[in-house]
Amino acid sequence: MPMLIRLSDGVFSQVQDDFVRLGDEEPVAEGDVIISLGRLLSGQVARVGGGRIGVWLEPADEVEALAGRLDEVDLVALAFPKFRDGRAFTSARLLRERLGFTGEVRAVGDVLRDQAGFMARCGFDAFSPADGSTVEAWAAAAGRHRHVYQRAADGRAPAFVERGSF
Amino acid sequence: MYRYDAVDRAVLADRAAEFRDQVRRRLSGELTEDQFKPLRLMNGLYLQLHAYMLRVAVPYGSLDPRQMRALADIARRFDRGYGHFTTRTNIQYNWIRLADAPDILDVLAAADLHAIQTSGNCIRNVTADPYAGAAADELEDPRVWCEAIRQWSSLHPEFSFLPRKFKIAVTASPHDRTAAKVHDIGLLLRRGRDGATGFEVIVGGGMGRTPYVGPTLKAFLPSDRLFSYLEAVLRVYNRHGRRDNIYKARIKILVAALGAEAFGREVEAEWEKIGSAGDLPGSEIARIRDAFTRPELADSPAPGDFEARRAAEPAFARFVRNNLRAHKLPGYAIVDVSLKGFGETPGDITADQMDVVADLAERFGLDEIRSTHEQNLVLPHIRLADVHTVWKALDAARLATPNINLISDIIACPGLDYCALANARAICVAQDIARRFEAPDRAEAIGELKIKISGCINACGHHHVGHIGILGVDKKGEEFYQLTLGGSGAEDATVGKMLGPALPIDRVTDAVEAIVDAYLLHRKDGERFLDTLRRTGDAPFREAVYADAH
Amino acid sequence: MKALTANRLSDGEVVFWKSGAWVERLADADVFAAEDTAATAETSARAQPTMAIDPYLIDLVETEGFWTPVSYRERIRALGPSNHERHGKQADGGDAVEALRHAHGAARSSGRVNLIRRK
Repeated sequence: MPMLIRLSDGVFSQVQDDFVRLGDEEPVAEGDVIISLGRLLSGQVARVGGGRIGVWLEPADEVEALAGRLDEVDLVALAFPKFRDGRAFTSARLLRERLGFTGEVRAVGDVLRDQAGFMARCGFDAFSPADGSTVEAWAAAAGRHRHVYQRAADGRAPAFVERGSF
Repeated sequence: MYRYDAVDRAVLADRAAEFRDQVRRRLSGELTEDQFKPLRLMNGLYLQLHAYMLRVAVPYGSLDPRQMRALADIARRFDRGYGHFTTRTNIQYNWIRLADAPDILDVLAAADLHAIQTSGNCIRNVTADPYAGAAADELEDPRVWCEAIRQWSSLHPEFSFLPRKFKIAVTASPHDRTAAKVHDIGLLLRRGRDGATGFEVIVGGGMGRTPYVGPTLKAFLPSDRLFSYLEAVLRVYNRHGRRDNIYKARIKILVAALGAEAFGREVEAEWEKIGSAGDLPGSEIARIRDAFTRPELADSPAPGDFEARRAAEPAFARFVRNNLRAHKLPGYAIVDVSLKGFGETPGDITADQMDVVADLAERFGLDEIRSTHEQNLVLPHIRLADVHTVWKALDAARLATPNINLISDIIACPGLDYCALANARAICVAQDIARRFEAPDRAEAIGELKIKISGCINACGHHHVGHIGILGVDKKGEEFYQLTLGGSGAEDATVGKMLGPALPIDRVTDAVEAIVDAYLLHRKDGERFLDTLRRTGDAPFREAVYADAH
Repeated sequence: MKALTANRLSDGEVVFWKSGAWVERLADADVFAAEDTAATAETSARAQPTMAIDPYLIDLVETEGFWTPVSYRERIRALGPSNHERHGKQADGGDAVEALRHAHGAARSSGRVNLIRRK
């Protein structure tokens, strides 16, 4: 099973990944599957039994397309084809803050420890590191900064709140 | 100066510790160069031709004496005794060892300085009017907004991996000294009908390969809505800016492709969805405003023997004519410190000179120093009675060249002498031109003439907005220079037009002189060079430069 | 002829390949006449990513008895910045440095502009 790091109630832990990614041409599968946005929207059946459904979004896919469909979805995987491609940060924030998605938001692709803090702030809660990071290293990187200056999807109090401006 | 609190200091300390860990992982081989490069760039560390270069942020160009001394200390201990002020009002060091970079960040942090986001595809150091807080013509001190933007943009979780770099400038004076209209976002502070402040928001200006004067996206944005609006602009850009071609990835390309109106509609729609949840509370703006030290300006201090010395000493009078600006209060002046000495490298300053400027700011300047995008320094609050003493001290340190806004006050990027991206040198071209026009009476007779030189199309030397712009190109392995005329980075922002075929390096200064002679020939009623050019068009100038080529 | 160059990881210093290691002066570097020996050196150098960054080959021409780079960018790397003659490798002086200063490659055959020397 590929390594997966999960963030839950502020704690990072290593978990088993039960999801299997299903290509658009692949037949219906048992268990938990991740399918493309196109396959989800086409309404094509992808699973048998009580397996969970995840949807895979490339950076150019607009999360707004999931509006109204999120109750069918347990997981949204946001791809970083290159770690320099920052579109998934926006996608994650919109999923959490605008679409109110409460399921798993997973970072997949070229996912490096040095972005762990930004990802957690934008609402990611599952990480599939490409750099072999241990859960300890990941947690240390994500928790590096004692203060933040902005509001984001993680509910952390920004500096202007900590300073008692309210 | 904005006074850091415990939160601001902790952010710098944590960032420095993070970078120390990243450097350790690179040196041990845990990170590849491909992985490390974007990480070091986000801390301003470049690999240049001869060594690493570290670019230190000078947020909105404001420094106090303690910070200037820390910069001098770094120049002595970790570099070769000098630094270079840039067109982003930052300072960069040319001879840095990777292994020393984390220690340098610690030295910087101890003086409330950093290198955060001085490179990389993120929101870069915000620049401001260098005369902010002192200018006679400003509405209010724009640096309060700059500091709020600095904090908001620092380690922004959503906007740290944009399609390309992102530069913001803020000015509160009708005379734009920030080149705001050629920024990704230019914020021009305005006062609304009800007296409340707001911003004219320019989006999508820029230089580089495809220069644009940015369109006005919003004529009046109430200042309390600034941060939700910035978030909307950045979000639309982060989602829709091009990532397939580095030369088409700046926001200017997106704005031009969609058209300002359609882009503006996208921003408005996003802005509405964000709502006021994206704004900074007014109480935080007030806190930042209060955290700025207020220089203790006296009520009309006596000018002492300022006028008498000006009448008696021609060299002092020349300095006063060229390097002093009107202060908002009587009895004070803004003093420009020239980093454009003849034969020197534009923007370069030695550690000893940094100490001199720090001492003068402390003794006579209410602890304030500014760096300008034209690669000079400013002492913004000098009593008229002290100007002569300050001038003497600057002159002894070779910092009093009386050439601000004159032909030898040239912007030049580091060019091929240092920069890994450059195609041609820029420094030696600037030096040669400055030498040709060293005679001060002639330079003053020519008047305001801004020459800006870039060693490659990235335009760090702002050549597009030079009255005379000079762009270094590589022509079959040789350094050639393309001249443009008529650019302006001021409130009348204009992109210069190419004059003709590129010239070899040894013809550039002659060409500039031919342009100047043509200007003096055609000038009417003391017009500026730019005004003559706008009136006559560039034909007389093209003729003057290329006549012997026919 | 070719030489192999890079910047050293730890301090960014310009370095040149010589028998399996990096040296600081072009005059000390291995000069490759054959494509295959040059390529072998490049492969070996790339296998040491914590020593130097992105090694690459440069073309050389003979000047005053020394091998000097054809491109002026590489000559500036081998010398130092032209606005600070006491910084960079040029500070050492000597015949090899003088040869670099006088070098002009095929593209600069006119020799009209002395490359280094402006201040």
